[in-house]
Amino acid sequence: MAWPHIFQRGTLLSRFSHHHVVVFLLTFFSYSLLHASRKTFSNVKVSISKQWTPSAFNKSIELPVEIWSSNHLFPSAEEATLFLGTLDTIFLFSYAVGLFISGIVGDRLNLRWVLSFGMCSSALVVFVFGTLTEWLRFYNKGLYCCLWIVNGLLQSTGWPCVVAVMGNWFGKAGRGVVFGLWSACASVGNILGACLASSVLQYGYEYAFLVTAAVQFAGGIIIFFGLLVSPEEIGLPGIEAEENFEEDSHRPLINGADNEDESEPNYSIQEDDTASQVKAISFYQACCLPGVIPYSLAYACLKLVNYSFFFWLPFYLSNNFGWKEAEADKLSIWYDVGGIIGGTLQGFISDVLQKRAPVLALSLLLAVGSLVGYSRSPDDKSINALLMAVTGFFIGGPSNMISSAISADLGRQELIQGSSEALATVTGIVDGTGSIGAAVGQYLVSLIQDNLGWMWVFYFFILMGILIGCSFHHPTSRYSPPALFKEPWG
Amino acid sequence: MLHARCCLNQKGIILGLDLQNCSLKDPGPNFPQAHTAVIIDLQANPLKDELANAFHGFIQLQTLILPQDVNCPGGINAWNNVTFYINNQTCQGQRNLCNSTGDPEMCPENGSCAPDGPGLMQCICADGFHGYKCMRQGSFSLLVFFGILGSTTLSISILLWGTQRRKAKAS
Repeated sequence: MAWPHIFQRGTLLSRFSHHHVVVFLLTFFSYSLLHASRKTFSNVKVSISKQWTPSAFNKSIELPVEIWSSNHLFPSAEEATLFLGTLDTIFLFSYAVGLFISGIVGDRLNLRWVLSFGMCSSALVVFVFGTLTEWLRFYNKGLYCCLWIVNGLLQSTGWPCVVAVMGNWFGKAGRGVVFGLWSACASVGNILGACLASSVLQYGYEYAFLVTAAVQFAGGIIIFFGLLVSPEEIGLPGIEAEENFEEDSHRPLINGADNEDESEPNYSIQEDDTASQVKAISFYQACCLPGVIPYSLAYACLKLVNYSFFFWLPFYLSNNFGWKEAEADKLSIWYDVGGIIGGTLQGFISDVLQKRAPVLALSLLLAVGSLVGYSRSPDDKSINALLMAVTGFFIGGPSNMISSAISADLGRQELIQGSSEALATVTGIVDGTGSIGAAVGQYLVSLIQDNLGWMWVFYFFILMGILIGCSFHHPTSRYSPPALFKEPWG
Repeated sequence: MLHARCCLNQKGIILGLDLQNCSLKDPGPNFPQAHTAVIIDLQANPLKDELANAFHGFIQLQTLILPQDVNCPGGINAWNNVTFYINNQTCQGQRNLCNSTGDPEMCPENGSCAPDGPGLMQCICADGFHGYKCMRQGSFSLLVFFGILGSTTLSISILLWGTQRRKAKAS
């Protein structure tokens, strides 16, 4: 067993100044806010679907048209649901495309400008999408699709930028713990979004969008005025200078046991001078590396299930149990709570055991079981919340680990050891495939739910879980970094 | 005040309508304009007996005089008093059927039953609810929200700029 380095280096806290704390909090909350506005959409699906359709009430009493049936964007709730799934899919596709572009853009332009611009303009787009269309009573399918594509592209600026900034400030030592905590930002964002949305939902769904967009815009402004992109900006030594100083006391590099190089290239979007002596490999070569394709497909399935819960949980709770949308939103928080605990705990356990695969395999097996249990949940809020947290624990944990550790594993095989370009490319392939899989999955979820009902959606998830478990028995699923540098949600 | 066959109040709203002996087969397309009327006289007209839907919106109507062979709209249950005279029929005292039918599921969610005329009911938004399908409740105070958000953003930005970026090199 090897305890993570945090316990061996007592000087950990002394190397962090107040600048580090502020950078940590700013990047944490900026990504949380981006995620919160994504979550708002899934929290108001029931209300939006009601707004777009005429009433389907079938009694003899007279229903005045202006109140009950003047909106005919979709003839029925089922068609509206299908379109909502389509919007999710469109968002994920453009987000995946944007991720590729944003890495390149973030390299060439100032990170602070890109991040603030991304946050503020995405906030404006969300405002137009949800609030302005409602205030003007202008409902149009084409407009919704276009706005959501633009939103996907703008939101994708967030992840590469916050990752790069964190990478500039936090070097090898203590990285594991810091990043482990930091990667809870997406789940915290989900919880924040759910709370904000459910508290103003009674006034109308347009106010849920208004509130999250306004807070995100404010966050973009705060980032612009308060974020330091790297220590060099105020004259402090960068992390390479610090690490060169420490190299003498470093343990010799042992294949598989030295974990600290792993995560550094993972977010080296701005690094352009390390590992420059090793040739970068091409996209095609990266695809052909052993393990990349199976793991990409496995990650696609896992991300599909994870994102489906993210996008559809409040809608499912409202539809299936008839709970009010605001309550369903609050309850969906428990999935994220389970995910945070699962990611952190399983990451810590696999750190200590120095083995990734058994933890993942066990977690996925139990995930299948918890999905079965959750699909049969009784109509009781406390039991449902508990089952939801358990499911989040078993699905969120592997998702976090795969997106970080396995990518690092794959990118560090002997063939390409040390090439930071390969690691970034492999990470991009795994994440990109994951996002595409998730995108396709959203449409499938709404299609299955329309035609076969919610139980079949759960069977679909269980099938995905089994598929992932099967593709796990691959030789490269060895342990690698304690620096669980991860992109939890894509 | 009286104006031709109409009885109007000071604001020009129709309170009474006298259409007796007008050779009307049906009240006509402009009839809903008189929906504020309290008393309407339609006797001595060759009316067909399908008046139920002609009285949508006539919630103030308390006295309706019809030819003998035409039934009161909404039937006898919709009126407190139905009296038969020699040459007409008088329906008096419109009943609020919402109270008597007593079906709690009568209206969609957040809707409540309201009278819509003799023998007619409609679903409008319950108290406190408004908007399309009565989904919205209360009103969101934009001023308070933006006030708090704006001042918080300003203070945090100033604080962070002072402690973090003030010494930053131009970038």
